[in-house]
Amino acid sequence: MVPAHSGRAATFDPMSTYCLETTGLSHLYSGGDPVLSGIDLRVPEGSIFGFLGPNGAGKTTTLRLVLGLLKKQQGEIRIFGKPFAENRVAILSKLGSLIETPSVYSHLTAVENLRVLQKVYRCPQDRIHQVLALTGLADTGKKRAGRFSLGMKQRLGIAIALLNDPRLLILDEPTNGLDPEGIVEIRDLFLRLHARGVTVLLSSHQLGEMEKLITHAAIIHKGRLLFQGTLAALREGRSGDDLETIFLHLTKKSA
Amino acid sequence: MSGFINSFSSEWLKKRRTAASLLTVIGSLLIPTIVIIARIDDHATLAVANRQPHIWENLYGRNWQLMGLLFLPMGVVLATSLITQLEFRNNTWKQLCTTPQSLTTIFLAKLAVIGVMLMEFFLLFTGGIWLTGALPGIFFRDVPYPAEAFPWKGVGNGSLRFFLDILPVVALQYLLSLRFKNFLIPLGAGLGLYVASMIAVHWRHGYWIPYTYSAYNFMGNAPQKFHTHWWAAGYTLLFIGLAYILYITRKEKG
Repeated sequence: MVPAHSGRAATFDPMSTYCLETTGLSHLYSGGDPVLSGIDLRVPEGSIFGFLGPNGAGKTTTLRLVLGLLKKQQGEIRIFGKPFAENRVAILSKLGSLIETPSVYSHLTAVENLRVLQKVYRCPQDRIHQVLALTGLADTGKKRAGRFSLGMKQRLGIAIALLNDPRLLILDEPTNGLDPEGIVEIRDLFLRLHARGVTVLLSSHQLGEMEKLITHAAIIHKGRLLFQGTLAALREGRSGDDLETIFLHLTKKSA
Repeated sequence: MSGFINSFSSEWLKKRRTAASLLTVIGSLLIPTIVIIARIDDHATLAVANRQPHIWENLYGRNWQLMGLLFLPMGVVLATSLITQLEFRNNTWKQLCTTPQSLTTIFLAKLAVIGVMLMEFFLLFTGGIWLTGALPGIFFRDVPYPAEAFPWKGVGNGSLRFFLDILPVVALQYLLSLRFKNFLIPLGAGLGLYVASMIAVHWRHGYWIPYTYSAYNFMGNAPQKFHTHWWAAGYTLLFIGLAYILYITRKEKG
């Protein structure tokens, strides 16, 4: 097992490039309570990266900072090797995201929701039907998104994130609200995307599910990164333990 | 420029089936419909009325009376708040702010959609005024088409003045609706300021409240040496500038 702060860079392939990189990312709430303390996140290109931690650990805040939804207070963010702030529009054109609950216009159908974004991404119209088929929403017809179940809204959120055929996909709790069949389908979808070279950053507290999917992981607890590296490195010396046990061991140790 | 056009087109799609888009159509045609019904009901006087030399001025005044004093400011308060609050209501600011477009483009595209909807409203209302004169002749053989030609230029100029005078209301409602997540704040502030403006319309300093301008325009009772349209333009620029600064510097984008 390799703690994040141990400086053992060997946990990653030294030749690999980072698709997303943060340096010393810190954030304080207006009351002065620290949410994040010096997060140095390194997401290798082409990985399925699990950003794991309990509720309130700082996962969503990190992702919101990375996407520019929260004003950065301290630290650096680089995506595709470039500083985010200076290259925001260019970076966002190659990135898809789903943060917390899916963002859908409830008075519009799934196709209309995607068309709203297709105009901005300037991607081909065919792409709308492709992502609907990929996420199992091809038959929603004239049904408005407001009438969708939580699982269908989640699928539509993922379809929106995939619309511009992104190089980096950032998904916060993507399997929320999905039934077991849906979880398997979406897992297969992520694996297919990974096979095509897409980098997938998944934030979750569902460790059992993540274990089946991720190639790399970072564990965050109380705003501090406890570990990051390959899944193999996380399991080093603990081959019999599942991710949940390893996670609990790490968080207890840091308490 | 193509980025802005795409963004505008995307924003325009969002208003489909919204209450604001329904309000634009219904609000613009409601008063002309009432005037048409009232005229048809009083059809014995129609033939004479349509032969009068100032029939269009008369109909223009009847239509604008309620519109200028009540429906226009109230409708603008409601429609601007509804359109701008669409992102809060659907929790979509976070998606919108992670699309590859500058925040300035998003700000201007949303504002442009409201501006175009307002123009749509004025065009429909002008068409409605024309129908109040032209339509009764279709129902009654003895009622002629109005003797006077429709004064397009005069009606156009009048509409342009109302358009200019309502812009500060659009700008302030836009600022409030972008700033506050709770729909009741922009709506309450807008309706409150409208009521205040109706009280202040006869006060010599009533011009400080920009919501009075469409009433001044209709009643022609603006305080002396006060140029309504310049003040409206000034307030509009001030509110839009302020809205932009507040939007751009917001710590949390969605």
